[in-house]
Amino acid sequence: MAGISTHVLDTDRGRPAAGVRIDFSVLDGETWRLVKSVVTNADGRTDAPILPASEARTGQYELVFHVGDYFRQRPGTDEADIFIDDPVVRFAIFDAKQHFHVPMLCAPASFTTYRGS
Amino acid sequence: MDPLALTRRSFAGLGLGSAAAAASARGALAQAGPSGTGAQPGALAVAPTSQAGLGPRLTLHAIDNAHGTPGAGLVCDLSIRDGDVYRPIKTVTTQANGRPAEPLLVDDALKPGRYELLLHVEAYFAALGVTLPSPNFLGLVPIRFQIRDARQRYHLPVLFTPWGYSYYRGS
Repeated sequence: MAGISTHVLDTDRGRPAAGVRIDFSVLDGETWRLVKSVVTNADGRTDAPILPASEARTGQYELVFHVGDYFRQRPGTDEADIFIDDPVVRFAIFDAKQHFHVPMLCAPASFTTYRGS
Repeated sequence: MDPLALTRRSFAGLGLGSAAAAASARGALAQAGPSGTGAQPGALAVAPTSQAGLGPRLTLHAIDNAHGTPGAGLVCDLSIRDGDVYRPIKTVTTQANGRPAEPLLVDDALKPGRYELLLHVEAYFAALGVTLPSPNFLGLVPIRFQIRDARQRYHLPVLFTPWGYSYYRGS
């Protein structure tokens, strides 16, 4: 299935990051246009695909993960240790027939993303 | 500030800092070598550099995890958030050892704030002759982080491939 999906994992605690707001935008000319904001569920995923197959197009896309709020609401996190609080991933769909799974692994001072499956 | 930050990252002493800086400069010279467009990345020839005891600064180390080498010749645009926009500060290119010639920010230039480092990842791999989709999955990669305490030392390692990247507060 084509489209875009994500999965947010709290690698500091070894569990899904629930309740993380994600802003999804598409590059429209020279500006990023917000398509929608979604919130991760208990499994760290979104209930619906970020971009469903029916809407998949080649282009440049952006995901902003508001993990700072997640870390602040999580017990036992020192505000001073939050080094990365709004990481952004920009990537291209170069083939609209392929699926793009873009996971993010986060901790207060660490961030990883990759093309997953 | 927590005690760990004081011992690990804060300025320990000018004498020690200068000695370490001199050692670091020699290391950079030793690592200088050809890194041409279309060439394979250089082999690792030196041991890691310790920055323990140096003063407040923001440093970068780019590692090409696709080749297992330093990321040499990676163009990076540093900017700081100013209201709703990121205001450009400088553009640097990493040397053969994967580090810029100078710290990104040092001493008084290191200010608290929200920063973005834009890595020209697609251009980097294209220059090495790596076959990529067009456009590549990753083109210009924004690395966002915040400096909370300008008295501390911040090291930013970035590990990247054409298909993913990782960054963290290093040491």
